[in-house]
Amino acid sequence: MTSQTAPAGDDFYSRALERIQKIMLVLGISALITACIFFGWRIGMGFALGATIAYLNFHWLKKVVAGLADLTIGSGTPVSSRGVVHRFILRYFLMAIVAFVILTISRESLYGLFVGLFLPVAAILCETAYEAYTALVRKM
Amino acid sequence: MRNSMRVLSNVFVVLSALCFAVPAFAQGGTSNPTNWVAIAAGFSMAIASAGCGIGQGRATASATEALARNPSARAGIQFALILGLALIESLALYTLVIIFAKVK
Repeated sequence: MTSQTAPAGDDFYSRALERIQKIMLVLGISALITACIFFGWRIGMGFALGATIAYLNFHWLKKVVAGLADLTIGSGTPVSSRGVVHRFILRYFLMAIVAFVILTISRESLYGLFVGLFLPVAAILCETAYEAYTALVRKM
Repeated sequence: MRNSMRVLSNVFVVLSALCFAVPAFAQGGTSNPTNWVAIAAGFSMAIASAGCGIGQGRATASATEALARNPSARAGIQFALILGLALIESLALYTLVIIFAKVK
């Protein structure tokens, strides 16, 4: 029983990052529509920007960690450590520049931006709930 | 080397003290009170950033050490590190949101 479920469980958990990114997309689009309908297009625009930054941030974080792992193990295509560090810092610069631009244009959009930046946390919570549900139902 | 580091740290201490001195000199009775909320916000953001930086550094160091010891466990370690870094970053964002909500 255990030998049969273990590979399926490994496969299930190894796809968690892909699922989180898909959940981010679904949550982002649905929350964007809700924000535009109930709070106006300014907050919706801020949310869209925040969600985009959060998605890119998560994607780059994944790439940086993969590069770091490659560097540590010495496998895969060789990546420059300087490039890894630059990409890591570039994320913060992008977030700061967008926040500054939005702050100078509209304060309402800033609240939307902040909500959008929390998209990965919401997606991780959804993934946690999904994994807990799967573990309980499928006994993985 | 150690001597120059000590001199540098003394310079930074004096500079940080001067940062406090400027608003103190600008005070004139009750007409221009010190904005303690802004000062507290700056300190809280600094503390949050420092805490998150330390947390991310420790998480990354532990993950790379674990990867070097056991490369076959790469998938699990990488997943845990990405989730950890994302959640640690969100803590700094919480602080930033609270600061923006309080400081207007």
